[in-house]
Amino acid sequence: MKRLQRDAVLLSLLENMWAHGSWCGETHLQKATYFLQELLSVPLGFDFILYKHGPFSFDLRDEITAMRGDFLIKYQPQRYPYGPSLVEDVGADRLKGIFSRTIHQYSNEVNFVADTLGNKGVSELERLGTALYFIRRQHAEYEQLASLIHKLKPHISPEVAQGALQDVAEIMKMANKAKLLDQ
Amino acid sequence: MSHQQEIRDPIHNFIRLNAEERKVLDSVPFQRLRHIHQLALTYLLYPGATHKRFEHSLGVMELAGRVYDVVTDPDNLIDTSVRKLVPRKDRNDDLEYGYWRRVLRMAALCHDLGHLPFSHAAEKDLLPDGWNHELLTLEIIRSEGMRDIWDEIKINPDDVAKLAIGPENYKGKEYSDLEAILSEIIVGEAFGVDRIDYLLRDSHHIGVAYGRFDHYRLIDSLRILPRGNDSQEPGLGVDEGGLHSAEALVLARYFMFTQVYCHHVRRIYDIHLKDFLSKWLPNGQFSTELDEHLVMTDDVINVALLRSANDAEFPGHDEAKRIVRRNHFRLLYQRNPTDLVKNQDACGAVYEAVSEIFGGDNVRFDSYRQTGGGGLDFPVLGRDGRIESSLYMSRTLATVPVVAEDYVFISSEIKEDAKRWLEKNRERIITSTREEDGES
Repeated sequence: MKRLQRDAVLLSLLENMWAHGSWCGETHLQKATYFLQELLSVPLGFDFILYKHGPFSFDLRDEITAMRGDFLIKYQPQRYPYGPSLVEDVGADRLKGIFSRTIHQYSNEVNFVADTLGNKGVSELERLGTALYFIRRQHAEYEQLASLIHKLKPHISPEVAQGALQDVAEIMKMANKAKLLDQ
Repeated sequence: MSHQQEIRDPIHNFIRLNAEERKVLDSVPFQRLRHIHQLALTYLLYPGATHKRFEHSLGVMELAGRVYDVVTDPDNLIDTSVRKLVPRKDRNDDLEYGYWRRVLRMAALCHDLGHLPFSHAAEKDLLPDGWNHELLTLEIIRSEGMRDIWDEIKINPDDVAKLAIGPENYKGKEYSDLEAILSEIIVGEAFGVDRIDYLLRDSHHIGVAYGRFDHYRLIDSLRILPRGNDSQEPGLGVDEGGLHSAEALVLARYFMFTQVYCHHVRRIYDIHLKDFLSKWLPNGQFSTELDEHLVMTDDVINVALLRSANDAEFPGHDEAKRIVRRNHFRLLYQRNPTDLVKNQDACGAVYEAVSEIFGGDNVRFDSYRQTGGGGLDFPVLGRDGRIESSLYMSRTLATVPVVAEDYVFISSEIKEDAKRWLEKNRERIITSTREEDGES
């Protein structure tokens, strides 16, 4: 996917996250993009590693910064206890118009992610994202995965990690039912 | 206790290092940094910019030690989960406390070992796919040549490598929360001491005030805090008393990038250097073999530049002449907010149109987008004990612009013709070129 085309998909995701009740900070966009790419195979081409609040892409962080530089999105500070939101800037509508076909192509996937994650807070997204990350990389029982998660992220208890793994399994079932998973 | 030595430094007055650190300082890879300019060819427009990666690396080590001492001070560990995570002097983990302090300073000392000649100038296009200077740094730290040192001082080189290059560049490695924070002390986008040192040092040598800020106050106010947003994950933040120093750091970075690092003349010299090296280097690329990397310095390239500039038989003659005789390409068009609203890729459109008329060899395109988030969002420990986002606490941080530049350069010999042509055709070029919504 070309850079501006990818930016259009990110703008569409941002718009849908807002519509589903998210206050859409950078962490929300990071985790939602991770689900969009890793679970639903939308070819955005970001490289994710386990870092800030779970799966984190430095490429995506740079792209978000570049989008701010290109007047596509901007920060909007929120009242305590929330962090800053990302909102559309003056150039967003024009870009979405140009890439309307691409946005339509991935609209089901974007809607699914926004509907599933839009109402989640940062700590919940962190748990779910981390759980999906381990499910994708390690073939092991959930109990074993939960203790691995706790080892690397001590602030997530094994019980909480196990709950998150089960929640992700449920999300995967829903995505499968909606025919959004690669067969 | 290891014997301490002192080195005079224009930024930090004295840099103190012990016998273990001296062994690394005396190694071949580290001594090579005496011959790598911190700011590439910037000295062609700011004559004072002749400082090297050598003294910068020493400065980063000095600052990393200072930050470690502040953030592990028991009085500064206010959060329960952070107290459990961080090694402390006042518990029975003296050994762990001392080990990680040594590793952190070593990592800081070694963080730039892999830099190519002229630092970043030619890195992106002149290394094989998948390589960058961080990967070369990793290879040097883990190399046979360094192994004896690590064995002797009983430090695991992989711990040094992890902190030196950070999770962004150490592909396939998982970082524990402690390792992620220690790495953040060196290469973090908000308060990384790499950035703190280069802003202060570059500013000092160039003779501009933009990069200066109260780093003493900032370092004293650094704290390890839960990142916030209802998550307990720890990260590097500040005490509220240091918020203004943090703002000053962010502004210093913004001004240094817009005024110095992205100066259009500096950028075109980088392009001419890259063009020269692609013709002069065997197969047009730097070698990633360590024995070849370790003898490749700015001195070697400078000799080649002079030779090629003075003799048309040598490879890269035209490009070398542009640099040595200061006949660089001139700025024809640069990013403009009005044009950007009409066309997100206005500069690319101008570049293509001008290349078509005046020939690709006479035109160069350059684009820079700030990487990282700019270090704007970090936890702040308020005076009332609450932790809040820096972007909520500081209106200044919330409005710092992103550094973004696009340039089109033209050969100096045809600049006036190109300028006249562009004036007549600019509006048409920008409004008639549309991005295409092809299949993804």
